[in-house]
Amino acid sequence: MALFIAVFVLLFLAVIQAAVPYFVKRTVVFGVSIPEQSVRDDRVRSYKKQYLAWASTVSFLMILIFCIWVAVKKPSDELIILISTAIEFGIIFVSLALYYYFREKMKQYKSGLQWTNELKQVAVADLSVRSEDYLPPWYIYLFPMIITVGLIGYTVYQYDLLPDQIPTHWGPSGEPDAFTEKTPFTAVQMLLILLLLQLMFLGIQLGVKYSGIKLSAANLGASKNRQLTLRKSTSWFTFYTVLLITMMFSFLQLTTIHPELFNDSLLKILLPFGTFILILAGTVYLFVKVGRSDKSSSELEEEKEIMDVNDDRYWKAGLFYFNKNDPSIFVEKRFGVGWTINFANPIGYIILFAPIILIFLLTFLLN
Amino acid sequence: MIIRIEPESEIPIYIQLTNQIIEGIAKGELKPGESLPSVRTFAADLGVNMHTVNKSYHELEKKGIIEIVPKSGAVIKSHPRVDQNTYDRLYESLKPQIAEGLVLGLTGEELVELVGKIIGEMKKSP
Repeated sequence: MALFIAVFVLLFLAVIQAAVPYFVKRTVVFGVSIPEQSVRDDRVRSYKKQYLAWASTVSFLMILIFCIWVAVKKPSDELIILISTAIEFGIIFVSLALYYYFREKMKQYKSGLQWTNELKQVAVADLSVRSEDYLPPWYIYLFPMIITVGLIGYTVYQYDLLPDQIPTHWGPSGEPDAFTEKTPFTAVQMLLILLLLQLMFLGIQLGVKYSGIKLSAANLGASKNRQLTLRKSTSWFTFYTVLLITMMFSFLQLTTIHPELFNDSLLKILLPFGTFILILAGTVYLFVKVGRSDKSSSELEEEKEIMDVNDDRYWKAGLFYFNKNDPSIFVEKRFGVGWTINFANPIGYIILFAPIILIFLLTFLLN
Repeated sequence: MIIRIEPESEIPIYIQLTNQIIEGIAKGELKPGESLPSVRTFAADLGVNMHTVNKSYHELEKKGIIEIVPKSGAVIKSHPRVDQNTYDRLYESLKPQIAEGLVLGLTGEELVELVGKIIGEMKKSP
């Protein structure tokens, strides 16, 4: 079972990482912005192919060696999980190294071609685009939050029923394997963490809403479609994730209060595993849906002689966006599908780090 | 309506914004009573500083083209006819341009034709 999950996750990661260049915005290749006119350039395509070939070969080799090691040595489940985590980092490291290698190649190629001197740089905004921006309303987050608050109330009401040892960690079989002393705080600690997570996800959704809709001057149609798809899909994916983790946490809390109801229940194994599979499936769906959203449009729309504003200078190391002028909280990732924060805007830090710090304080200081 | 700015141009961005919004209204792409996006939204979409957009909105307000209404934001005003002050201001701002045209060899008729051409451009758009 541990081997199956480990290999499944490793293959998933390897495929996603190797395919990234084909799912990013079409005018950004290895973190280097290129004009719309050069998206189908032979050299650009060959770099993407080389990345795909190298990243997949190295990752699959690592997974293969891992499988052989498990088959020969028959290690314990803990060791399998530990080593597979190390390989996950290995895969990410290999794709990052390849990313930087091809980024340098792209930079050289770009400076040799002098695109920026020949083409006029233009930034565009569509004043009516927000009438087509269908994001879920913020108040749908009230639904999972009310469930959490309700469960907190129920836990307080049933305080006497709770065992003297409150579970804090669950093993692969779905049975708790780590505990803490029962106090009014530890009884609801997990639900408080859940509430903070829900607030963080709501913050992320609002951050997306209040971030700019960045369009490409040379290809308005395709870039608009991608930005609107990205905003809508990631917002719903965020909510989907919140619903799944709310279900998961609520179930664990209920099994703690009423263990007799779930004795030998299959749900104990099915629910964590199902949540995990559903989140992975959602990720793939998001990746493909957003990744394809700017690839299908016709070539007729392309405009010659102009290109997007060359914003490479705001992307530190090609991965971190730092632009003091831009009031956006999040911007679209350059390598990957999704969002990254504008490191020059403190609101982004608050949304992401305040709940995480609070959760750490809750779990370490108060226990 | 699509706004296009050229950050590398010699013309400051806030003036590019102001001019394009005015043209948009003249062409009928933006209508009186409609509101412009909030300063934050507009700046985020373009990736420019909020002060730049703010400056442009204040410029438009000073010219009497928009009205900054609390809560509704920047609303485009309607102007059935021109008042004397505005007329004088336009007169003063057009004068050097017309003079420049004459100095550079345009005849009076050609200048009138030029004005007609610009008006034609504003009216023909959808």
